[in-house]
Amino acid sequence: MNYFKITIPVLLVASGFLGCKKYLNEQPQGYLDASGLTSATNVDGLATAAYAGIANDWWDAPITSNWEWGSVRSDDAYKGGGGLTDQGQLNVYEQFYLLNSSNSGSGDFGFPGVWIRAYAAISRCNVALRALNNISETALPTRSSRIGEMHFLRGHMFFLLKVLFNRIPWFDETATDDQIKLVPNTMSSDSLWMHIEQDFKTARDLLPSTQPGEPGRATRYAAESYLAKAYLYHAYTQDASYTVTGVNAAYLDSVVALTTDVIGSGQYSLNTDFAYNFLDGHDNGPESIFAIQYSINDGTQIGGRLSMSTSLNYFAGAAQYGCCAFHIPSQNLVNAFGTDGNGLPRFTWFNNTTLNDDSLTAAGSNVDPRIDHTVGIANHPFKYDAALPYEHSWERDNGDYGGFGTMKELQLATCPCFKKLGPFYGTSVNMDVLRYDDVLLMDAEAQIQLGNPSAALPLINQVRARAAAVSPLVKNLDGTYPSNYKIDIYKPGVNIPAWDQATAFTALQWERRMEFAMEGYRFFDLVRWGIAAPTLNAFFAVEKTRHGFLANAQFTHGVHEYFPIPQEQIVFTNGLYQQNPGY
Amino acid sequence: MRKIQIVLPLLFLSLLGFGQQKLVTGKILGKTSNEPLQGVTVENKKKTVTTDAAGAFSIAAAPGDVLLISFVGMNPQKIKVTGETQNLVLVLEEGNSDLNTVVVTGYKSEKKADLTGAVSVVNLADIKNVPVASPMLALQGQVPGLYISGDGSPTGANGGAPTIIIRGVNNLNGTGNVNPPLYVIDGVPTNRYEDFANLNTNAIASIQVLKDASAASIYGSRAASGVIIVTTKDGSSNGDKVKVQFSSSLTWQTERPWQEPVLSSTQRGQALWQAAVNDHNVDGVTDPNTISTNQIYTYNWNNDYANPSLTSVNIAPFVGGDKLEPAANTNWQNALYRTAMITSNDIAISAGNADRGLLMDFGYYNNNGLMQFTNYQRYNARINTHAGFLNNKVKIGENFQLSRTSQVNSTNDVGGDAVGDLAITLAPTIPLYKTDGTYGGPVGAGYSDRNNPVDMQFLNRWNTTNLFLATGNVFLEVQPIKNLVYRTSLGFDYSDGLGKLIHQTGEEGPVFSINSLTLQESKEFTFTWTNTLSYNLVLGKNRVNLLAGIEAVNDKYNTFGASNTNFAVQDINYFVLNAGSGTQTDNGYGTGYKLLSQFGKVFYSYADKYLASVTVRRDGSSRFGANNPYGVFPAFTAGWRINNEDFFQTIAAKASISDLKLRAGVGTVGNQTFQGSNIALSNAAALTLYAANYGTSSPADPEWLNTGTAYDLNGVNTGTLPSGFVQTQLGNPNLKWEQTTETNIGLDFGFMNQSLTGSFDWFNRNTSNILIQPPIPGAVGEGQLQWVNGASKNTKGWEVILGYHNKTSFGLGYSVTVNADHWADKITALPEDVRAAYPGDVNHSIIGHSQFAIFGYETDGIFQSASDVKGAPFQPGASPGRIRYKDLDGNDTVNVLDQTWLGNTLPKVEYGIRIELNYKNFDFAIFGSGVAGQTGYDPVKYLNSFINTRNNFGPGVLSAWTPQNPHSSVPALSISDLNFEERASNYYYVNTSYFKIRDLSVGYNLPLSIARYMKMQGLRLYVSGQNLVAFKHKAFLSKDPERANSFALWPKPTSYTVGLNASF
Repeated sequence: MNYFKITIPVLLVASGFLGCKKYLNEQPQGYLDASGLTSATNVDGLATAAYAGIANDWWDAPITSNWEWGSVRSDDAYKGGGGLTDQGQLNVYEQFYLLNSSNSGSGDFGFPGVWIRAYAAISRCNVALRALNNISETALPTRSSRIGEMHFLRGHMFFLLKVLFNRIPWFDETATDDQIKLVPNTMSSDSLWMHIEQDFKTARDLLPSTQPGEPGRATRYAAESYLAKAYLYHAYTQDASYTVTGVNAAYLDSVVALTTDVIGSGQYSLNTDFAYNFLDGHDNGPESIFAIQYSINDGTQIGGRLSMSTSLNYFAGAAQYGCCAFHIPSQNLVNAFGTDGNGLPRFTWFNNTTLNDDSLTAAGSNVDPRIDHTVGIANHPFKYDAALPYEHSWERDNGDYGGFGTMKELQLATCPCFKKLGPFYGTSVNMDVLRYDDVLLMDAEAQIQLGNPSAALPLINQVRARAAAVSPLVKNLDGTYPSNYKIDIYKPGVNIPAWDQATAFTALQWERRMEFAMEGYRFFDLVRWGIAAPTLNAFFAVEKTRHGFLANAQFTHGVHEYFPIPQEQIVFTNGLYQQNPGY
Repeated sequence: MRKIQIVLPLLFLSLLGFGQQKLVTGKILGKTSNEPLQGVTVENKKKTVTTDAAGAFSIAAAPGDVLLISFVGMNPQKIKVTGETQNLVLVLEEGNSDLNTVVVTGYKSEKKADLTGAVSVVNLADIKNVPVASPMLALQGQVPGLYISGDGSPTGANGGAPTIIIRGVNNLNGTGNVNPPLYVIDGVPTNRYEDFANLNTNAIASIQVLKDASAASIYGSRAASGVIIVTTKDGSSNGDKVKVQFSSSLTWQTERPWQEPVLSSTQRGQALWQAAVNDHNVDGVTDPNTISTNQIYTYNWNNDYANPSLTSVNIAPFVGGDKLEPAANTNWQNALYRTAMITSNDIAISAGNADRGLLMDFGYYNNNGLMQFTNYQRYNARINTHAGFLNNKVKIGENFQLSRTSQVNSTNDVGGDAVGDLAITLAPTIPLYKTDGTYGGPVGAGYSDRNNPVDMQFLNRWNTTNLFLATGNVFLEVQPIKNLVYRTSLGFDYSDGLGKLIHQTGEEGPVFSINSLTLQESKEFTFTWTNTLSYNLVLGKNRVNLLAGIEAVNDKYNTFGASNTNFAVQDINYFVLNAGSGTQTDNGYGTGYKLLSQFGKVFYSYADKYLASVTVRRDGSSRFGANNPYGVFPAFTAGWRINNEDFFQTIAAKASISDLKLRAGVGTVGNQTFQGSNIALSNAAALTLYAANYGTSSPADPEWLNTGTAYDLNGVNTGTLPSGFVQTQLGNPNLKWEQTTETNIGLDFGFMNQSLTGSFDWFNRNTSNILIQPPIPGAVGEGQLQWVNGASKNTKGWEVILGYHNKTSFGLGYSVTVNADHWADKITALPEDVRAAYPGDVNHSIIGHSQFAIFGYETDGIFQSASDVKGAPFQPGASPGRIRYKDLDGNDTVNVLDQTWLGNTLPKVEYGIRIELNYKNFDFAIFGSGVAGQTGYDPVKYLNSFINTRNNFGPGVLSAWTPQNPHSSVPALSISDLNFEERASNYYYVNTSYFKIRDLSVGYNLPLSIARYMKMQGLRLYVSGQNLVAFKHKAFLSKDPERANSFALWPKPTSYTVGLNASF
């Protein structure tokens, strides 16, 4: 009897010692392993995720809008915000002299965050490409388009990395994770451009000219436009200190050929109103060649895949907004909108007079009409709402950054596209990556550099003519216009003595600044043209008499054209990456 | 003393076994209850008996024998048997744990005298009447080796768990709650702090803290952060009586003594003016009347930058020009904090005896919130029963607790700043209320984008977090043959947490445009099945205990969240999901883990002199890779009770040594708790996984960052989007436990019949295979993070506790208890590419330093003049009035390579002292504790030194350096910080050591005659005060030393309590 009394519990306990492999098998819920991603639908989903990847950002490290990289770092804009230390990393970028490899952001913050986010998007492209390469056209009829799209998106991200950091590790979908960890950033600039161009060439060859019903997808013309952009940057040869030593005619020929093809497609045209480029209701319009697609009330947890990269830039003191007043147009930019008696830019003397509330009136100084699409000016309708004009009280830090407000990237609080998220704001208005006006001006720039300024003239004038067709949207409540618009196209021999190559290039540079002001193009244009140092140092010399915080600002040629390689990336690769010169 | 001198030799004589046997009878009563005690052990050297339900015993003894009378939780007594000894009536006093106290140490209990590991037994009387929401918070400073740090919020961490560290942090997960100790409550293991926090102290029978690996290794893979074992009462010691214990207290709390002074509206203007003047003298441009606060402040001054003189500060009459918002001079601390009232009531009813027993317990705790619009409420109920059958050969029982807490915590403003921060840093010119009665706010030019903290709390007032817990076990014990016990226990631990987040549309600018309700629920059910078989054997002088067992744990966790927007009415009763008419979203995930373990223990004692035990546990976990699912955790300990050695008796007698035991042990424990941002991924860390991540990861994410895979390819702007998949983690099939091997050597001693007792422990632990998730090069891309076993640490330390109790001839009882502990940790191995995440630089590796080390610059006073600057090593931003940093590498330039180690954020030594006095019916106790050798960020030093155009500052800035005031230790004020003084430096990383009087109480016990008349067994009335005074290093400016690092922590309030303990 005792025997049983003992053995039963002993057996019970002992049975546990045998263990049970099955018991410990706990499967994750709601996740897939790689084997679950081979069906046509799921492979297509990987490509969709890559699109999301190029749009997954926020103002802490934007990869969609370039306002922090191309606008605040140029003569177009100040950082803004509440004092110099508010988002102090942007103050460092703006002033240049403070910048070193470890003082201005890490992780997801600042330019180191762009490195991480852009490569995250690239990894999504490569994951999708690997899956697409293993599926048949029969299973996924859109396979070749998807492959083209992935090359396009990858090229887009490498392009951003290239213009920000110059020396970057490049690899494609054939590299394994372990191999990627061993890729240095020592590839020559020339080779990097060729790889980026190759992605766009592949995309061009595989993509259809339209993607019916899916305007978010890249098309052949998007690829051609981006390829033209890459060639244009590639064409300006830089030496080791980033001095432009020449222009490559072959690449410029390609720019002309590609942009001509896009223009000739008849698929695109300038919006009738410049305003439509920055307004809800005009997403994927005739001028948009490729755009980041945003959406609202789409079932995502924050209420939308909203454009958040510029969400810091709404006004702090405006009752309809509340925060944070970043990205302030510089006095220099406002002055640049001034025009002469012929309605042409005041090329050399624009900064001699200061345009302010007093001169920016209907009876005041001559200005390019694009100013009222770009700059918030006291008592002018703001964002085409005459009932609620811009006021200085909206300015958060009038002392440091006062005077004007940004406008293009903002939407009215009453817009159905607008969503308040805590202190920030998002909109569902798309963000154009490639626009038809850019294609026209790229074509013009290549023509000028190839010595055909006359071919550029109608292209530049096409852009100016649209600007001159004054938008009814900017009117005051009483139907008058808030500023004294004076703009004309270039008429050689009439309002300008001659249209030689030098004049044409100056005109092109000005046209790009006016057309894309505050959109993040400016700094990259200056570096491409090789004039960042003289332009910015001249800007600082005058601007610091207007704004004391720029007292020490200084751009060093040969260093500040590019960001440092994020120090942590050098650490994480055990010193594999070489730091950019001067840092 | 004299008594002891007589008794001890008699005791030794008795051991020799003289004398004639006779039957001694007696009765034993408890002191407080004055009731007979059942189950009291009465022993002489030959025989052991226990008292019956009437408290009576009889035992054969010879004159000269000494009877040892002992009972759990009571001070034992020794009675010398004489010829006359008969019909004894003995009263046992509740008291300090002693050698015969039964201690639960892991699937079994043992006498304290038999312990060979480092185990602290908590004195429950010391924590019983401290008016805090958790027994844990009352333990701060009481148990050597147990470090607790919390803030002044009801839970000590604004709804979460306070920092609890046993003998240092073994791994690299920081001090947060990723590494809680393992709580074993009535045999059921859990990592959930609230399971412990929600216990009523009246229901707790004992708390033990297992500190070293040899003691804890029986708990194997989850014991690396220490084990806290709790046993609740079950009526088994009631002696068939019905007992009612009732405790009630009322507490008032105030933070006023700990408030930090800040500048008035005018003083703030004055400081900004001075800063602008200083900045002008550096950049030549800044003008006080055009800095960014010029829409708040303008100045009448002499405009002479060389000899500035301020005539008046003009404050703009309205905030942001809003006529409803006149400029004010608000004390935000007074506005945000109020006097809190805490009521605590706890009633425990128990009945039964060792065979059958019952405990019912109900508690209610309510704290109406030191901060405006916060509160904390808890109900808990417990039923424990046990019953024996078939001559107690079969025993069944259960322990079951329900608890529900409901709390409104402090919140952050819309931009993510804690309201506690804002109460100190928000501009005083903003009024609390506008003239129309709505809350004032910093809307308008010149102000920061932060919000009125009281408004934020007001808007947060309906955001209740509820936690419902149901925990306990049912068990069956069978004793098929004598001394062989089979026990099976089914333990369960169910939690249901529900958080409510209501965004209301408000008057103030940057709030929300559409109102919304989000409910987020998480449920966890952990099932633990434990089977043990134990056998006790006594063969002459040999005592052997054997234990073998298996345990299976199955944990399931899932979350569910839903939200709706656009509610027509903003009323707490209207905010239910169905009432919203806007966009609805939902979310949720599920995960779980399993453990399967086998363990065994052998304890051996020879003649109560030589003690040894061996334990081994083998744990299997579903969290680890296919290649390493199992870990084995062995331990060996030995003890030597020197005082039981014959050769020692003479010495013992001479030195009045009543106990002396040397302990040593070595053991291994593990850790399987590691957590990245996503618990579901961490539970499957061995696998490479892809996810369909439609939206962002969490609605609570303060960064409104898209991370998903959905995208509006169709350009329709709204509706359901096409979506895809993304890799989320790289698996590691080789993943295994963190492993800690520890050596512990301890000495327990007692003198003068245990009047003076103490123990000392020294330990050295090495942790290897620490789980880390190394950063990866960005180029590799998304979802490539991988958990690896990649680092090692060493922690060394010691603990000491000393207690003395005695009574003077005129009847004043007194006792003093002192404890202290020390530990120091260092990282001994860490992969190169991970080190960037830790303090240090290329010349200063974290290897050999604590992960809590602070790295930064050393300062060397303030530059007094331009020639001073010239003569010093080049320092970018240097100018007169600026902080001078040391050029440590001597290259004549101050740069990033001039940093060094500035100290550790966790203390070198923690200590506590308790003094208790009792005289007649009065008792008095004072308890204080502190830390030493701790360095930390002093937010008040910062507040009184640096200014900017957004915040308010401390009065220290008014005496900052100027050319006219050159001897100040505060650098010249500046709004542009060109000298980068916000860099980590010993300017504001200071010695944060302190000592605090935590508790002082005076009690009065009603004379028994009166209590009896009132049908009571006893009644004690008391008043007490908590957190009364703090002493600290003079460089450490924070008034509340426990609020170092951040004003986001609630100040620890001073409290005053009146209460009573009644028993019926």
